[in-house]
Amino acid sequence: MAKVRAGADSNVVRRPKAYFRNKGRVDTGGGPKPMLQLEEVYKYFRRDVPTLRNVNLTVERGEFVFVTGPSGSGKSTLLQLIYRKHTVDGGRILFAGRDVARLTDESIPFLRRNLGVVFQDFKVIPYWTAYENVAVSLEIIGMQPRLARSRVADALERVGLAGRGGERAGTFSGGEQQRIAIARAIVTEPALILADEPTGNLDPQLAIDILTLFEEIHEAGTTVMFATHDHTLLQAAPHRLIVIDDGRLIEASQGLRAWSARTEHMLA
Amino acid sequence: MDLATAFSRATRGLRDDLRLHVVAVASLVIAFLCLGGALLAVANLAHMSTRWGQERSVSIYLKDSAKEADVAQLRLVLESVDDVAGAVFVSAEQAREQFAAQADLGIPMEALPQEAFPASVELTLRKGASDERVASLAQRLASFAAVETVETYQSLFGRMASLVAAGRSAALGLALLVIVCVIAVVGNTIRLAVAGRRQEIEVLKLCGATDGFVRGPFVVEGALQSTAAALLSVLLLVGSYSLLHGRVDATLSSLVGVSTVFMHPMWLVAIVVGGACIGALGSMLSLRRYLAV
Repeated sequence: MAKVRAGADSNVVRRPKAYFRNKGRVDTGGGPKPMLQLEEVYKYFRRDVPTLRNVNLTVERGEFVFVTGPSGSGKSTLLQLIYRKHTVDGGRILFAGRDVARLTDESIPFLRRNLGVVFQDFKVIPYWTAYENVAVSLEIIGMQPRLARSRVADALERVGLAGRGGERAGTFSGGEQQRIAIARAIVTEPALILADEPTGNLDPQLAIDILTLFEEIHEAGTTVMFATHDHTLLQAAPHRLIVIDDGRLIEASQGLRAWSARTEHMLA
Repeated sequence: MDLATAFSRATRGLRDDLRLHVVAVASLVIAFLCLGGALLAVANLAHMSTRWGQERSVSIYLKDSAKEADVAQLRLVLESVDDVAGAVFVSAEQAREQFAAQADLGIPMEALPQEAFPASVELTLRKGASDERVASLAQRLASFAAVETVETYQSLFGRMASLVAAGRSAALGLALLVIVCVIAVVGNTIRLAVAGRRQEIEVLKLCGATDGFVRGPFVVEGALQSTAAALLSVLLLVGSYSLLHGRVDATLSSLVGVSTVFMHPMWLVAIVVGGACIGALGSMLSLRRYLAV
């Protein structure tokens, strides 16, 4: 059992600001370290009830991992701990070999520049154009506008929105808005993409389309963690499946359709 | 984040919340106009005080019974006094004519009593004549047989100096009030902008924006808002002065002997630059309070 910290950040060892800067990039090549390692991770939002308990998980570089489980099981919390929306209360999370929990507040942005995050509610800015919504990620890392223009055009093309960069995001359909969000997540070529129920607001066909899009991104070499409780999606794609229930990671295995079937009662 | 990016993001923010910023700029223009108007008033009071101080004069009013010989003797004495730069004899008739030319009382001049305009010797003193020396001169001149009274205008200068000092204090107080007002208006505008752009801020943070990247454009927005207001108020002030000073000058110069002046260009620059800095400060204070990034 891991020791639980009393205050979220009180015992965190301070690291230099440049801890995650390192020219802003994580080595995505086939190095010896896994992309992500969770070791005895605990998270409490209420003192007596852990949201996540003793979670151990390793995600290798280039993997596509489904994270599933019933609503409120801790899927989103798991992803939020990875992009440091919250801090672990016990254990550690190593991203490319670096402990995410020990990052200083100043270093968190540099962690997030190595991640692409996609949400159920898209989080696109409706009064910005599709181009502006995607380009913001490159603006943040200080890319030259000329180079950014071609990168954004590529990203929009990859998500099937070529030539629509000038349109206001608010005028796009839900599925298209999610594509904009995916383009924003991939435009910086992050080491890891975290998708938190990205198809939750979409109809089944659009959900499959979005999943296909993530698979294409994965085929290009990006590691993907895809949280969903949509059983259809789990059956549609043969990827590694991780099940979280009541804060526990109860099974983790290489893409088994049968696995999904066995856990069906939990996913209903 | 470099300044160009902050500027470009700030202009995008201004565009997105245009109505909010226009209302804020309009309020700030009024505040800056009040400050500019007060500074203009102080500049003119100071100018008047300086002019009067430079061209210090003494009026020696002569008795109606004064003989020509006594007046001649007086003028001879005045020529030998170091502090006196010039002496001009003004007869009662000339005094009456001068008054008629400068003042429009709305009553016939004949209605004024003859003794209201005594003959006088108008002295112009050299620069640097101290109050003590002028008082001593006045005392000496009062002892002459032809002299009724000697007016040194010292009490007037004293009142003028007090008025300038009071004007400066009032302008300083007003400047402080304007600073508080600008900080409050910019701060509240930025607060509303922050509230309206919560989602944008969240997205920026999730994409790895640093605190500086998130806050920078808001600070630039505050500075731009305040600079625009200060610039507009300066232009309004210059425009109003250009339109009005021609009409005011004639009256003012006949009443107090000096025409109006506009404030030094550096003051205008100070209003604009100061406005930008105060706007940025107001924005920073607001962000400290309302934007937890």
